Formats: sequence, C-alpha cells, structure tokens
Amino acid sequence: MTTYTICVFTENTIGILNKITTILTRRRINIDSLTVSETERKGISRFTIVIRHDSREAVEKLVRQIRKVIEVLAVFGYLNDDIAYNEIALFKVSTPIGAKPIDIETINKVYKAWVVYWHLTYVIIQKTGTEEEIFEFFDYIKPHEILEFVRSGRVAVSKSPQTLVDYLPEAEWEYYQ
Amino acid sequence: MEFNENQTQTVQIADPAVSVAKPELINGSHALIRSLIEEGVETIFGYPGGAIMPVYDAIYDYQEDINHILVRHEQGAAHAAEGFARVTGEVGVCLVTSGPGATNLVTGIADAIIDSTPLVCVVGQVAAHLLGTDAFQETDVIGITIPITKWNYQITRADEIPEVMAKAFYIAKSGRPGPVLIDITKNAQNELMSKEFSYKKCENLISYRPRLAPKVDQVEAAAKLINEAKKPFLFVGHGVRISHAENELIKFIEKTDIPAASTLLGLSCVSVDHPNYVGWLGMHGNYGTNVLTNQCDLIIAVGMRFDDRVTGDVSRYAKQAKVVHIEIDPAEIGKIVKADAPVVGDAKIALEMLLPLVKENNHKEWIAEFKKFDAIEDEKITQPELAPTTEKIKMAEVIRTLSDKTKGEAVILADVGQHQMMTARYYQFKKPNSFITSGGLGTMGYALPAAFGAKVGAPDREVVAFIGDGCFQMTIQELGTIAQSGLPVKIIILNNNFLGMVRQWQQLFHQKRYSFVELQNPDFITIGKGFGIDGHTCSAREDLNASLDKMLASGKPYLLEVIVEKEENVFPMVPTGACVADIRLE
Repeated sequence: MTTYTICVFTENTIGILNKITTILTRRRINIDSLTVSETERKGISRFTIVIRHDSREAVEKLVRQIRKVIEVLAVFGYLNDDIAYNEIALFKVSTPIGAKPIDIETINKVYKAWVVYWHLTYVIIQKTGTEEEIFEFFDYIKPHEILEFVRSGRVAVSKSPQTLVDYLPEAEWEYYQ
Repeated sequence: MEFNENQTQTVQIADPAVSVAKPELINGSHALIRSLIEEGVETIFGYPGGAIMPVYDAIYDYQEDINHILVRHEQGAAHAAEGFARVTGEVGVCLVTSGPGATNLVTGIADAIIDSTPLVCVVGQVAAHLLGTDAFQETDVIGITIPITKWNYQITRADEIPEVMAKAFYIAKSGRPGPVLIDITKNAQNELMSKEFSYKKCENLISYRPRLAPKVDQVEAAAKLINEAKKPFLFVGHGVRISHAENELIKFIEKTDIPAASTLLGLSCVSVDHPNYVGWLGMHGNYGTNVLTNQCDLIIAVGMRFDDRVTGDVSRYAKQAKVVHIEIDPAEIGKIVKADAPVVGDAKIALEMLLPLVKENNHKEWIAEFKKFDAIEDEKITQPELAPTTEKIKMAEVIRTLSDKTKGEAVILADVGQHQMMTARYYQFKKPNSFITSGGLGTMGYALPAAFGAKVGAPDREVVAFIGDGCFQMTIQELGTIAQSGLPVKIIILNNNFLGMVRQWQQLFHQKRYSFVELQNPDFITIGKGFGIDGHTCSAREDLNASLDKMLASGKPYLLEVIVEKEENVFPMVPTGACVADIRLE
C-alpha cells in the first residue's frame, strides 16, 4: 500500500465535503486523514486527503472523478516525496505529585515538542511532525500515562517551484490550469 | 397552513411625487418561471404538491408561455423529460414537490446521469427555517442526489434564483450533459426579490470548463494511428448523437473507408444501409463486430465509454489493438480501456479536425471480413428469427415488420430486457436520432413515459415504443398522461408473460430454475381502454400486418399488444465474464 496525498481546491460552498467523500466511499477507499481550510485566496478551500492504495492507476482515476465535481477547481495527487507535510498532535500527560518528573529538555531538544499548558496534575504537550515522528514521541511519553491524545490530519504543500503541480501524466491536465 | 405576508402584498403604486419609477419586484416563483422562459423552456413535466405550490400558482399565469404536462408519478416526469431531452437535444425540465416527490425522481435522475442526458429538476423544499427539523415532506434531497447529479444546489433566497437557474442550464447541457437538481425552499418561492428580475445566461464557470476543441497534438497523434492502421475499426457512441456529429462521422468513415459499429445508444447515428456500417457491439450485438473487435489493429472510439456490456471481459478485450479515444469527459479516458491516443473534446469538433489529417483509404477487404460473419449470423439467427416456424409470433418479426412499415425512420423506444435487445437488433435504423432507450441504468418502466416525452419533443415524427409486459406494469399509470395529452404515441407490448431476460439467464446459467419470472398479467387492452386509449391484441401471425397498420393509422395514442413466443432467447450473446470473441450463437 502506498500513501497518496490528494489536494483538492474547491469553491467554498455548502456540501462540497459530501460531494467529494461520496466519490471515495463509492469506490470503497478509506480516508486516513482529512483536513479542510481556506486557502490564500478567499472563497477557495483546500482539502488535503490522505489515502492508502495499492494501485496508482486507481488513484489517478479517483483524482479524475473528483475533478468532475462542478465546484472543484483543481485536484492534485502526490506521493510523499513530492510534498512537504506535517501533522500536529496534542498530548495530555499525567504529572501527579511525587511521580517521576517529565524531562522538558529532552522533550524540547530531542523531540521538538512544547508544553503549551501547565496544570497541577497534568501538562499539555504540542508536537508537530510527520505521523512517524508523532508516534515516536508517543512511545517516548507513554510511560508517563497519556490522559488524552489527538492528532490532526495531514497538511501538505508540494515541493515543486510551480504553484500547483501534479504528478499525473494525463494529457488533459493542462486545460485545468 | 403557512401564511406568508408577501403573498398578500398588493403591488406598490409608485408615488407620483417620486419621479423615478420603483422597479416591479416579483417573487421567487415568478422568477423561477421567468428564468425557465429565458432559457427557452416551453415544456415542463411535473407534479404539484405542498412545497412547490407557490411555483404552481405562478405557472397559472404563464400557461401561454409554458406547456406544463401533468404526469401521474414523478418517475414518469423524469423519464418523460429524458425522452424529450434525448430527441430534441435540449434540456428536459421536471418540476416536483419535496419529500416523496423528490425521491420519486431519483430513478430518472440516476438514469439520466449514466446516459448523459441533460435535465434540470426543480424540486420544492420546506421553508428554510424548517430545514433539518423533520418537517412534513422534508427530505435531504441534496444529500440523496449528490452521487447521481452532475450538479445540485439548494436555493434558500429568491434573489439567488436567476443566477442559479442560469448555472443549472449551462451545466446540464454543456460538456458531457447530465442532470442538475435544484432544491428550492418554500420561503424562496414566496418571498419577493430585493431587486428587479434580470437574467443573464451562464456561459462559463471558473471551476467547470469542458473542453470542446481538442488539442491539436492529440488530434495529430490520433490521425497518425488512423493512417497507419491496417484494420481500423470505429465505434460510434452516444456522444456522436449528443454532439450532432453524424454528418462529420459519415464524412470520416467515407474518406477513410473504416468500418463502423455502434453501441446501444449510438444506434441510428449511421444508417444500416451505409456500406461501412457493420452492426452493433456488445453482449447481444452482432457476431462479426464482436469477434473482429479482437482482430482489428486500431479502435477509434467516438463518444463511448467501454461499458462492460460492450467489452465483456476487459482483460481479454482488444488487447491486440491500439485505441484512439475521442471523448469529452476526461475521466472516461483510460477508465476501462487504455487509450494510446486520447482526444479530449467534443466529437463533432474532433472529427472536423481529424478529417483533413486522415488519408483516403480503402478497407474493402477488411469490411468484407465482417460480411462473412454476417452470413453465418444471418443463417443461424436472423433468418430463423424473422421467418420463424413457431406457432407463436416472435419479437423479431414484429420489430422488423414495423421497421419496414415505418421505413426505418420512426423514433423508436425500447424498454429494458429481451425486447430491448431485439429492437436494437431488428429495427433497421435509417435516420439519425431515432433510438431512445435506457442504456446504462437499464431502467424498466423507462419507455412509456420516455416515449411520451419524445413525442412532445418531436410531434411530427412517428414515435413507437416497444415495451415488455413486465416493464409496462412499472409505469403503466403514464397511460393517463398520454391519454390526457391526446398525443398519438404508439405502444407495442411484446407480451411473453415472462420477465424474459431474467428467464433467459435462468435458463442458460441457472439450470432453468425459473425463480419468480412468470407473470400473471392483467388485460392490458382493457386497462388501456380504462384510460381512454384504444388498442387491440394480436396473437396470430396472419394478423400482424393488419394490426401494425391499424396502430400506425390511428391518429390517437394506440396500444397494441402482441402475444409472442414465451420462451425465446436473444442471441448472439457474450455471457457475463466471457470474452467478446467467444460470443455464442446458441
């Protein structure tokens, strides 16, 4: 299974999420993560959808089907190497009186994570990074008892110097630009 | 009962002291109807109900401009609009209420999207403040129809109406056509617009730009393959009809001398009399077209999508051939069959661009190969079907006799099943735009309302529907619509007292275990008469000619029931999962 990141640019109107997800559901493709936000251009939303699939061809077909949604302006499918990507995670970690203190220096310097909220009996640590980095930190902090853990969906931008570049070799692609 | 103060407002009289006349404001319902008129809509197929009543009140004032046809079930409205759209090439319009009115449209909308038929379905909805409250006849029709519409949108304010309707029509008919659903809340129908009504047709959208003229390099690459091919084979799809490319196609095949075969929905684009026409493709298509698909060296697919009923087992489909795929929907390129030379664009423009680039050629020997297969098929299947020795009439003779009587120039509808395949096989289409059937969805019950819609769209043409006894009972109530209109739609029920195609499959693949396929039918002629439609039953071969003559001579709607052989099978047949070259003749 290969991880693909699909970036979809749409007009920001009601119901677009539904119009896009139904295309995946119909083809029995599960969404690993999904992030939606407005882009640098007002009224244009950006969907970052992460899926895993063993057929690149199927993903290319999926991309073309998503492009058919009227409100969709552009769709790009990326492999991990094509993009800079990150996630953000928050850990609520138990710090009861008398327990072994957490090692802030290691957390900061080794794991590049930051305490964003202090409480008498717990702290909230924010960690950004890839899925792997977040889970490395997860394993490190686990002995301290994780009270709550939440991870965002992936956000990604392409590494290409062009504004939006797809890896799809389709002949029809230019006219979407 | 909803009270809306907008309805009770009298027209404001301009204050004589004010020199500038105030614009006359209209409510959403009037705006909707005026939008339809601006789009050139003359016919609406509809059914009123609570959440669409303000629009029906407005239609009352526009009866001279718009011909509203009251159907008997909303599914009938959708199929009638499809029949209308298919025969005219214009957008079919439906108008129904919320809840069940909307859900009854669903089958027709699903049918329209898979057969690329332009519809605008306007659906009433509960008032905006009631959305999400499970109000009476509220249903999430937007949610329901997302996967089966080209576009859908919910209007909640009257001011949105002109712009959204313009967009709806543009989307429905441009590019690859399809159904658009507009859900309009009751408050938007009732409230006054805040500004004067003005309408501007939509001509482009930022996010939707169907490509019409293909790229020159794509056309050149296609021309190269076409010029190099020794055994090229052209497939005529629905796209040829949609883009009105019939003339360009004929010029193309005459210049290149390439044999052309048709998909189900491409039938009638090329006359059966044309020397380059070699037949019909697919599961019940012709022997030669299927076998030689796996022997040609180039497929030129024009406006078709390699449906599984055409390809059979894709892994053994035309592997030896290169493929030129001319198609307006980029998502269809490479979806089923890899295209060596994709040409994304409108079929008519693509063929116009290709024509000067392709060489004049001679493929007589190659075309003669099809004729060899035709001779075998003719002897083993066609002749026995057309001149049977059975006591009972066979479907093929009815269809061919009608074909002869109408000179192959009638608008023919077929419902879904054996009679549909038989119609496609035995009607000799000689005039473009003459065959309407539910291809992709295979919607039983399609033909009766669609035939009505087609007759509305083409009142000067003879419109004949072939319908099975099973199909007929799915939308039988539309006899009422036909009777009320008085339009002379000719209906032929091919009655074998079976769900014939399912029975055929049960016979061939399920050891003749006939599971729920035999029907106890009503007396169709009595039913027809109950609706006010004249008709009679023909059960003897010697009466067939006179029966068809009587039907065709009638200036009114007419119902002819023909009792046909109970257990006949449609052949040739490419069984599901088989390769096209393994087509069975028996």
